[in-house]
Amino acid sequence: MAWEYSEKTRQIFMDAVHGKPGTHMGEIEKPDGFGEHGSIVCGDALRFTFRVRQHATDPLQDVITEARYLTFGCTSAIAASEALCTIIEHGQYTPIQALKVTNQDIVRFLEGLPAQKIHCSVMGAEALESAVFNWAQKRGVDLALAGVQLQTKGEDEGRIVCKCFSVTEPYIRRKIKELNLRTIPDITNAIKAGGACASCHHAPGGLQDLLDEAWGRQPAAGGPPPPVVPRTETPAGASSFQRFKQIEQVIAQSVRPALQHDGGDIEVVDIKDNLVYCRLSGACAGCMGAQATLKMMVERTLKEEVSEQLRVIAV
Amino acid sequence: MKTIYLDNNATTAVAPEVTAALAPFLADQYFNPSSAYDQARQVSAALQTARHELAVLLGGVTPDQLTFTSGATESNNWAIGGVVRAQPQRRHIVTTAVEHPAVFEVCKELARQGCDVTFLPVDRSGQLDRDAYVRALRPDTLLVTIMLANNETGVLFPVAELARIAHETNPAIIFHTDATQAIGKLPLDLTGEFEHVDLLSLSGHKIHAPKGVGALYAKRGTPLRPLIIGGHQENGRRAGTENVPFIVALGRAARLAADHLAGVDQIRQLRDRLEDAVVRTIPYLEVNGHGAPRLPNTLNLSCHYIEGESILYQLNEHGICASSGSACTSGSLEPSHVLKAMHVPFTAMHGSVRFSLSRYTTAAEVDRVIEVFPEVVASLRRISPYWDAARNAPRPTAPQESPAQPTNH
Repeated sequence: MAWEYSEKTRQIFMDAVHGKPGTHMGEIEKPDGFGEHGSIVCGDALRFTFRVRQHATDPLQDVITEARYLTFGCTSAIAASEALCTIIEHGQYTPIQALKVTNQDIVRFLEGLPAQKIHCSVMGAEALESAVFNWAQKRGVDLALAGVQLQTKGEDEGRIVCKCFSVTEPYIRRKIKELNLRTIPDITNAIKAGGACASCHHAPGGLQDLLDEAWGRQPAAGGPPPPVVPRTETPAGASSFQRFKQIEQVIAQSVRPALQHDGGDIEVVDIKDNLVYCRLSGACAGCMGAQATLKMMVERTLKEEVSEQLRVIAV
Repeated sequence: MKTIYLDNNATTAVAPEVTAALAPFLADQYFNPSSAYDQARQVSAALQTARHELAVLLGGVTPDQLTFTSGATESNNWAIGGVVRAQPQRRHIVTTAVEHPAVFEVCKELARQGCDVTFLPVDRSGQLDRDAYVRALRPDTLLVTIMLANNETGVLFPVAELARIAHETNPAIIFHTDATQAIGKLPLDLTGEFEHVDLLSLSGHKIHAPKGVGALYAKRGTPLRPLIIGGHQENGRRAGTENVPFIVALGRAARLAADHLAGVDQIRQLRDRLEDAVVRTIPYLEVNGHGAPRLPNTLNLSCHYIEGESILYQLNEHGICASSGSACTSGSLEPSHVLKAMHVPFTAMHGSVRFSLSRYTTAAEVDRVIEVFPEVVASLRRISPYWDAARNAPRPTAPQESPAQPTNH
């Protein structure tokens, strides 16, 4: 997938990573507002800080004068962070006015983002929101009294729908409405939910159900096939316990002492029916004749003492 | 700006000799090789020459065991699906957790359709546990499909040995290997060391032939249903008029690859020079596949606390082409399934970069990367919330895989 970034996005990214004067990379010490969004596990994370010019009597009239970011993420995540800070500083906003800046404003500033990168702009808006909440706490501002709807309250504790990216049900519900998300790919592009194992897409209470509740049930489209979770454990083959004991005994009493006499050893890896899988270790391991030694000596001994049908496989 | 192409595991430049060889078949040698007239005979002879050239690269197998396809993805789909369709009563397949999607997804699809698939895990260096492999083999095992060299990390699996163990367990087990990344980089003798391999997939565009051509080796007697039917071409194994120009190209590329096999040590030296330099200069850098036998041309790195796509973007500003297993480059939101299976620390999971060299790679190009790459990493770490640029180390508050330790090899 080749890059489909706008020239503006490319320029902002390159200016940012080269620390061009006027860019906003960094972190304000003792900030008036501090917010974070994302995590290193999810693939992008943003730390956003701002400073205000404090109003002498009314905190609601504080004005944001400086905004800085540190971002772990891709080209568009870094460009979106830079865009966020530029918009905020340029607007001379009060923190409450700043809440009106949406991810769409960031996308417009960047002159567009590829659909699958929209979540980078959402990350910017979320970090801004949490920084404003942090400012309100520090300044003793009651956001509810100031007319701000505290939508995010309690969202972190909700039922987790997308386990891969830890996205909760209340958050998804709110974002479906706020960002007008109509399909599962819309949700994934905007807030990442459902972007990995896909098991939450059509599960009960999953993304499709939440979409249906928000917008009404859509005519069923042939959904994607159910995901397969690779199984990595290996089933042990059924081995006859008695036979197993017998083989172990012969190896312990006859085979191993003979090999150890020559500075080597033998390990039985598995036994399936008449097949005995062995590994030679120690002095024998690198020996050119190791294979022949096993075949001839071990197999002959086992055939004589346990069963004519046994075969040895070197592992 | 000059392009420095270090993404040869993705695709390779078409060799000038190859372009020259295929050109007549885009011009006056346009005849259908199946036609009766004299003019067509030259074209069908060219097909047989190409088959012979490829057979030589694979250790001198009988050429009629090779069938040309559209590439390794088709070869893999055909090999795995065709084996299952030939013996529908046997349902168990053994594969690994790190296969290329052209195998991995086919196996997952068969699992949805009722096959029982064992995905073998790998360890931190990307190697298979041989004991787990032995234990996975069952009386009803139909197929083992295990790649020779991993496309992302270059880690090699001991396919010759694994195939022997499968056949000694039960000669009816069919052993398939996706050798796409190994061809031309390692000697591959299907009549000697690799004699127990029944099916082998390969692709032309990884060995300096064009995209859109590949082959499947199927040992005579291997039960295999065709994937594409509707014509007698390729002995009825793969219908459709042959892609003559590209098949000729694949043959020529195979001959060149055989000629250059002795030269892979030079590629290895350049790779090692790059690896040694970046490991020396960049802290908190993982070499994925370190400690395992690896392809001579591949270097897969993971930089802690930064993200791979922004690394690639900056490298590209210097004309350098590489790739990454990060989520942001894949078009999905998940990082590479290979790095996940290897348990790469989560702080480095998104920061992977793969450099893959070819015989056209020069020392000057490698030196340019050695010059540029550390600064790219440093610039992104300055911007990362987890990195302390002053100390050139992670912030004490940064998340760390426990036990916490620097992982500079």
